[in-house]
Amino acid sequence: MERMKVCLFEDGKEVDFFPLTMTRAVYELRCGRTTLLEKLADAFGKGAEVCLHSRDYLTDVLRERYPGYLVNSLGERDDVLFVNGRWLYKGEQIDLKDEYVGVSGDQIVLIKAKKETVKKYWGLPIPEIVKKLSEELGRDTVKANLAQWPWDLVFANPEMIKYDFERLGKRGIHGKVHGHVEIVGDKDMVYVAPTAKIYPYAVIDTEEGPVIIDEGAVVYSFAFIQGPSSIGEGTYVMMGAKVREGFTAGPVCRVGGEVEESIIHGYSNKYHDGFLGHAYVGEWVNLGALTTNSDLKNDYSEVVVYINGKPVKTGSTKVGSIIGDHVKTSIGTLLNTGTVIGVMCNVLATDISPKYIPSFTWYVNGKLSKGAGLRRMLKTAETMMGRRGKKLTEPQVKLYEYLYEMTRQEREYYIELFYKKAATFTE
Amino acid sequence: MSTLTAGEVEKRIKEIVARIYRVDPSKLTPQTRFIEDLGADSVTTIELVAEIEDAFKIQVPDEDVEKNQTLGQAIQYVIDKLKAEGRLK
Repeated sequence: MERMKVCLFEDGKEVDFFPLTMTRAVYELRCGRTTLLEKLADAFGKGAEVCLHSRDYLTDVLRERYPGYLVNSLGERDDVLFVNGRWLYKGEQIDLKDEYVGVSGDQIVLIKAKKETVKKYWGLPIPEIVKKLSEELGRDTVKANLAQWPWDLVFANPEMIKYDFERLGKRGIHGKVHGHVEIVGDKDMVYVAPTAKIYPYAVIDTEEGPVIIDEGAVVYSFAFIQGPSSIGEGTYVMMGAKVREGFTAGPVCRVGGEVEESIIHGYSNKYHDGFLGHAYVGEWVNLGALTTNSDLKNDYSEVVVYINGKPVKTGSTKVGSIIGDHVKTSIGTLLNTGTVIGVMCNVLATDISPKYIPSFTWYVNGKLSKGAGLRRMLKTAETMMGRRGKKLTEPQVKLYEYLYEMTRQEREYYIELFYKKAATFTE
Repeated sequence: MSTLTAGEVEKRIKEIVARIYRVDPSKLTPQTRFIEDLGADSVTTIELVAEIEDAFKIQVPDEDVEKNQTLGQAIQYVIDKLKAEGRLK
């Protein structure tokens, strides 16, 4: 391939992944071992200059996270491959012809355009360039699965773990694995990184899929990990943990109790007993002991999830919680089927939670409020991050200040609803 | 930022207190005690402080919270803060 730019773009649908995408671009979401970005950059970005397009208010944090990439800029004129950041890329063979628009249904998956074609639009906002090119160039169907909703990432997770395992290209046990660790199934379907550690009487089951134990990860005694599962760098799987198939923990997590077909993005804690199933948990979340989410209704009917406060039918009977960054739950919190918890919420719900808790609120025993306010929430965030050696940076503070104002109207609306006892959110 | 009169400050704070503690605002007096009369606990106290900070765009250090035990003290505290910032009519 000639040298060119590869631009991952957001196409407007990223807001349907709120609250997860309030603090990150949609392609930063994790599915499998890695983020969508890592998979797409690996597939299309080799030898290319990678550009990231996202909403303006994420520019500074993206520049901080990815100093080697252009953010919201295409830089110097060049051939460009635009790639939809919602693509759940699994190694599809794509013929990158000269110029065309690759579509899946009515969704743009990618646009390959030569410098001569793009140059007349250079300088326009990236979404404008994508729109104009999509109208100018010929279309062709490509085989691609784009995530539409947060739960799509959870549903795709098992297969993506398998894909990432093959892509990783590493197998076998290279770490410190104590005696009496049992591998059930094909031992070739395990990767234990050189600095990972597994304590005695842990069980790794690869009969349904591979298990990845990444650098610096620790699996304590009596833990059971069923594949396909991926345990990220520096993550601890606690004593007696039951990790069922389809689970991913990103870096520096603490995983205890029972987890199943869920994604914990990174730097989050679910140290203790309690069940987490078919859920996506953001970063810097602490789930208090015995926090449990329901992922199946008692009548086995379709789960409805509130996205941006509007009910969305999932088409599935198994959907757990979607939890934004910096959420804290108290001990014994019970999360209703398909609950969405916004960014920086504090939830004490020993009675079943409402299904939608707007960002920057406290839900305490049936009452919704502004809680401690943004200043104190940021202080808590700073404290938690400090415990893992991370700083709450100025771009991050500015982002949360922006998000606080962006979500103010919604928050006040729901607080008023709860005050009037008008909100039920039982379905 | 807009300026407020002392009366507006009092009215707004009474509204906030009434909502948080689920009381009739007309029954609130300057002598109303947060803990003894309204049943304030750590959760509702922090909520009240945050609402006042947000409503008046001020910061209330944690050490100042304990000094304001009554509604009247809280109202005077906010008035004094706004006055110091030149935001009181």
